[in-house]
Amino acid sequence: MTSVWEFMRDNQDRFNGLLFSHIRLSATALVIAVLIYLPLGVAFSRMERIGSAAVGALSSLRVVPSLALVFIFVPWLGFGYRPALLALVLLAAPPIILNTFAGMRNVDPAVVEAAQGLGMNPAQVFTRVQLPLAFPVMLAGVRSASVEIVASATLASLIGVQTLGQYIFTGISLLDTTYLLAGGLPIVALVLVVEGLFGGIERITAPATR
Amino acid sequence: MVTRRTVVKGSLAAPFAGATIMAAGLPGSVAAQDLTVIVGSKDFTEQFILGNMYIRVLEDMGITTEDSTNLGGTQIAQQALEAGEIHLYPEYTGTGLTEVLGLSVDDVLGGGGATPTAGAEASPAASTDPSQAVYDAVKAAYAEQFGLVWLERSPANNTQALAVKRAYSEENGVTTISQLAEVAGDLIISAPADFPEREDGLLGLQRVYAAGFADIEVLPVAPGLKYQALEDDQAQVVLAFGTDGQISGLDLVVLEDDLALWPPYNIAPVVRQEVLDAYPDVEARFNEVTASLTDEVLSDLNWRVDGDEKEDPADVAESYLTDNGFIGG
Repeated sequence: MTSVWEFMRDNQDRFNGLLFSHIRLSATALVIAVLIYLPLGVAFSRMERIGSAAVGALSSLRVVPSLALVFIFVPWLGFGYRPALLALVLLAAPPIILNTFAGMRNVDPAVVEAAQGLGMNPAQVFTRVQLPLAFPVMLAGVRSASVEIVASATLASLIGVQTLGQYIFTGISLLDTTYLLAGGLPIVALVLVVEGLFGGIERITAPATR
Repeated sequence: MVTRRTVVKGSLAAPFAGATIMAAGLPGSVAAQDLTVIVGSKDFTEQFILGNMYIRVLEDMGITTEDSTNLGGTQIAQQALEAGEIHLYPEYTGTGLTEVLGLSVDDVLGGGGATPTAGAEASPAASTDPSQAVYDAVKAAYAEQFGLVWLERSPANNTQALAVKRAYSEENGVTTISQLAEVAGDLIISAPADFPEREDGLLGLQRVYAAGFADIEVLPVAPGLKYQALEDDQAQVVLAFGTDGQISGLDLVVLEDDLALWPPYNIAPVVRQEVLDAYPDVEARFNEVTASLTDEVLSDLNWRVDGDEKEDPADVAESYLTDNGFIGG
């Protein structure tokens, strides 16, 4: 373990560069994913039949290994940031959309009716009743998507983006645990930070829904 | 395909049987002449082609062979050779040195590319040509440790290398890594993800060649995709192996490693002594073929198997030998 810290210290500039690039790619993918998929999940939840079918089809996307997903766009987009970003955004689709869909659908119809009975218009019902009630489930979806993105950003090192995957693939080819840990430990740390962040958001927002 | 091979073998077996009977009068020669030579190889294209070349040459000499190509990695092939389960297989000098003998190139050349002066002190007798020095060292050590014989080495050197498109090389007058180093800061290199971290990768280039390699941009890609990035013009340089089929197939230029960063990986058949005792002419016949194997020739042959044509390695070996008069004369 000490040798890993020494390695990170000795290669500080390089390590920071890879870490920053990894975070930038992951964060960008997550933001785009949230902006697209949350509204999409809500929209699906409001479509009677097509919604369920669409979400069912999307969940089948989960069987595509992220390793394959990373290479899918290379023939059209070439190598580099764009195909990697697109793959990561796509990877986040099932958890976010499914959870948004489930969260919205699971809001008790009686509560919605009661809100309507109180004279709320549809927009008010959505923002004041449905959204707050569905929020914890939606957040859990974003949370698991972000973990997948941070972990899979490693694979971007196979299509032209320098990430912490560099260290992991070096560790594999040299059978060198220092490299494996120098790449793997920061990813674990990143995931823990993300988990903590979402845990915090959940705690802050939870009382408001009661 | 199968039938043709069988016919060839059958037609050779007949005169060979006669030769055995005639030789029977000479003491001690019967057992030797009966030796069926088992030819091995490792598990990739170039090895299949070379193994099949050895088989064809032996058959052309009227020697019975057994095809044991596609054994696996270096350790498996070496163990099979030591145990006598195979009689010969093609090996690379650099691999023999590092993976089999457990030595480093510095042990032979003394200090590596960066400090050529240290080498002079460590081994004053060593050849100044790294290819020859490593070959000599490996040949001597194999003879001593295993009683195995390295026949002559090829001019071809399947080492790591930097390659560029021919148009780039001609327009910019770049044929050596030193020349590339001057402009490397403006270039992108397509290479596997571990390249920037490795001493035998970018770190070594920065140490030995310096100049622009500090600022060269690395496009990390899966090993199978590195040439595609070059084709798509997303990179100008690719980390290659000297005899990769793509070099011939995509018309690339391998830059000369003029400061000798990478160890040489020349190719030679490694043979058990009993084969040479039984068939003394094998050495000359094999050496003749090996001497013809340049980077360009092997790259071209590899491309016939790995490229769009997807030819059978055995067919490629046979047509090369026939076209160049090594067999069938």
